[in-house]
Parts: sequence; structure tokens; C-alpha cells
Amino acid sequence: MPQSLVEQLGAKILDIITETGDFATVSARSFISIFKRPFDGRNFLYQLSAVGVNSIPVVVLTSLAVSMVFAVQLSFGFRQFQAEGLAGQVEGLAVVRELAPVITGLMMAGRVGSAMAAELGTMQVTEQIDALECLATDPVQFLFVPRLLAAAVMLPLLTGIAIFVGYLGGYTLLVGVQGQSAYVYGQDFYKLVSFRDLVIALTKGLVFGLIIALVGCWRGYRTRGGAEGVGNAPTSSVVTSSLWILISDFFLTKLLLV
Amino acid sequence: MAVIDVVNLSKAFGRKVVLDGVNLSVEEGESLVVLGGSGSGKTVLLRCILGLFRPDQGHVSIEGKVVQDLTRDQLSEVRKSIGMCFQMAALFDSMSVEENVGFALMRHTTMTLAQRAERVEECLNMVGLKDTQKLRPAELSGGMKRRVGFARAIALKPKILLFDEPTTGLDPVMTDVIGRIILGLKAQMGVTSITITHDLKSAFEIADRIAMLFQGRCLAVQKPEDFKANPDAVIQQFLRGDAEGPFLQDPPPPVTLKRNAPPISTP
Repeated sequence: MPQSLVEQLGAKILDIITETGDFATVSARSFISIFKRPFDGRNFLYQLSAVGVNSIPVVVLTSLAVSMVFAVQLSFGFRQFQAEGLAGQVEGLAVVRELAPVITGLMMAGRVGSAMAAELGTMQVTEQIDALECLATDPVQFLFVPRLLAAAVMLPLLTGIAIFVGYLGGYTLLVGVQGQSAYVYGQDFYKLVSFRDLVIALTKGLVFGLIIALVGCWRGYRTRGGAEGVGNAPTSSVVTSSLWILISDFFLTKLLLV
Repeated sequence: MAVIDVVNLSKAFGRKVVLDGVNLSVEEGESLVVLGGSGSGKTVLLRCILGLFRPDQGHVSIEGKVVQDLTRDQLSEVRKSIGMCFQMAALFDSMSVEENVGFALMRHTTMTLAQRAERVEECLNMVGLKDTQKLRPAELSGGMKRRVGFARAIALKPKILLFDEPTTGLDPVMTDVIGRIILGLKAQMGVTSITITHDLKSAFEIADRIAMLFQGRCLAVQKPEDFKANPDAVIQQFLRGDAEGPFLQDPPPPVTLKRNAPPISTP
């Protein structure tokens, strides 16, 4: 029995190493393929719309909800020691540095990454990816590159939108409901935030975009086993990319804030 | 020189040996039909020829180039000279019929839009599908999908055509239509082809030679008339379509189940 447990553990570790190696190889192929021709501009534009434009309502709603709830918590918390005036400043810091990029990343992992995994997974099990190979087209170049570039362009932009909506969410709550001065809130929101924080937020958006597109496409590309495999691909994509978004957020924050 | 040379090809998935030392060669302009039961390795053979699977032993060479030794770019060049027709057509469902058929033209030629449209129309006419350019794959019947798949495969005027069970799941009339289209393509384009099928009628119509795969091995590669007369018990059972014989490894279920038979009583 102990031997079989060790064998199982060994097999699991080997699986993880193999999958990591495969992901790294496919990712490297994707980055190299960006510079190969022909470039499918039409598909790229379509992906910009699918990844970016169509995601604006989700990002606006989530960012609004999270920033308003956070403003309520801040207002309540600071009231405990008569420092409500700090709520606007901390709201700005939290929205720009963490909430906007992370919430946008996680929402996009659910909306965009899962769609990529499901689409490529269906293409895999219906032999459409083999058909691409047979038509002398590299599936990584044709399928990964437009999605990767679209996510890399659109995630920072969506993060920017999330920051702006976060400002409005805090404004609605702190000025509209709590009765703070609009002028003071406008000054306070950016008081603790520097231009570098905005650059960090957009960099996080870029990295999260790359993670979402690569993991989503890779999970779809490696789908096996018919309907069950196609069902598992999006779930696995969302879990994996969400996990990597949170892990990379920690390291990006540590590295970029130093 | 043979256009396609399959030399001692072996492929296993885990412990399951699918191909076990298969040797085949297809001459220029020849039409080879590969017969065999489900799971006998026919599709794996085609995938090895296309370089989609890497063989465990042996090799496939196309016009003298060993497929598994080629780089991705070299393999792409070889694939441009091969048209593959998939079992379930494998059309890109996000594209129209026109975009599907014109896909390779758009990627690999410098044709103008008008030239591409003209070639797409020509290909669709060859498979008997006029005025279907704007339809989506979801709007097509099974037979139409296969034919669009044929049109897509011939768009680049390949030297080699591979058909993976082109008539499976189609009614007898559509099966005959597909058989005629394959014959028509062969006559018009003079291509070298390998067709995998279960359908004996169309197999004998389109084949210059017939190969039979059984348990990963190639039992025979013969002209249709010689193949029919082959005394091998497996081949004869396959041609008869009989459940009794060496073809099935598991014994078949009993054949005489009477309706309203009395229940089996235990002593």
C-alpha cells in the first residue's frame, strides 16, 4: 500500500512537471508566433471586440459594486475613531493599486478565459484544430496570437475603466450618501496615489491579460475526451488563471512597489 | 518512386498497440482504399501520414521526405500538397462555407478577393454544391458538410487526397453521391489518394488497390478482383459482413432470440 501511495504521488508530480513544461513550450511558441506572417488582422479586431468591448458592462458593474461596498466599509471603519476624512484617500489607494486590476483580472478570467477554453476545446474535439494543421496553418499562430494580443491590449484598458468607475463608485457613496464634500473627495482620491501606481495597475492588467489568454487557450488546445473534456476545460482554465492572477499580483506588488 | 511510402509503421497508445509494422506504398495517381474494422488503426495511419501523430517505430515518407524528420515549416510545405477530408468534415463553424473553402487560399496564396471567390466557386461546383457560399456549417446536412470538406481539401490543388471514412453515417444514396464525387475528383485532378472506408460498394468502385488492416497489421494489399478472391478467413468474413468468424476477438451474441420466448428457468 505505501508503495502504491508513493507511486501515485510520483505520478502526480510527473503530471504536474509535464503539464508545466507543455504550458511553457506552448507559451513560448505563442510569443514567437506573434512575429510570424501572415498576421490575421481581421481575427485580431474581432478578438479586441470579444475580449474588450463586450466586457465593458461586466467590468463597470463589478468595479462599481466593489468600490461602493469598499467605501461603505471604509466609512464605517474610520468613523470608529472619527477619521471619516481618510476614507476617500484610502479608497483611491485601494482602487488604483489593487481592486481595479485584480477584480478586472478575475472577472475576465471568468468571462474571457473560459470562453477561449470552451471555444478551442470544442475545436479540438471536433477535429477543427487538426484541420488547421492539415491546411498548413499553425494552430498556435492562428488561434493563440490574436487572443493573446487582444487580451494584452484590452486588459490594461479595462483596468483603466475599472479605476474610473471605482472613482465614481466611491463618489456615489461617500459624497452622495455620506455627504462628504465633492471637492474634498476629488482631491483625496488621488492624494496617496502617484503616477507610478497607475503604471503598476496597468502593468498588472497586462500581465493578467497574458495569463488569462495563455491559460484559456492552452487548456482548450489540450482538451481531450469529448463533451466531458470540453466541460472541464473552462472550469480548469478559470481556476488556474485566477490562482496565477492572485499569485502574480503578490509578486508584482512586491517587485514594482520597491 | 512511390508518392507515399509507409515503412514498418508502429504506433501504440499506452499498452494498446494500434499499428504494428504496417508497410504500404502508393504510386502516383493511384487510389488506395484501406479497409478494416473499427479500432483497427486506419485513422491513426492517416494521422501518421499527415504528421499529426509521431510513430513509435518506422516512418512515413511523402515524395521522399520523411515526415517525422521535418521541421514545422517543412511539414507545412508538405501539407500544402495534401488535401485531408475528415470523417465529420471538421469545418470551421465560425466561418461561412466560402471562408472555409477559401481558407488555405487566403493563408497561402497571393490571390485577390475575386480570384479566391472564383476558385471557391469552382471547387464547390466540383462537389456539386452551387450557391452555398454564404451558408454556415450549422445550416448544412451531413452530406453537404462532407462535400464542403472535400471542396476545402482540393482548393489548393493538392497532389494527394486523403479521405477518412467519407461515407460513414450517410444514407445509401448520399454514400453513392460521395463515391461518385471521389471518382470525379480522381478523374479531373489525377490525384494520388488514400481512402479509408467501411463501405465495400464504394471501396470497390474507387480503388485501384485495396489494403486490409486487422489488429494493427496489414493483411493484404491487392487489386480489387484479387482482394475479393483472397482466401484469408478475416478478409472473407469482412467481405461477407458476417458476425461468425475470426474477425471479432470477443464471441458475438447469440443470433436466434425468439420473440415471446419462455423465460429461462433455473433448475
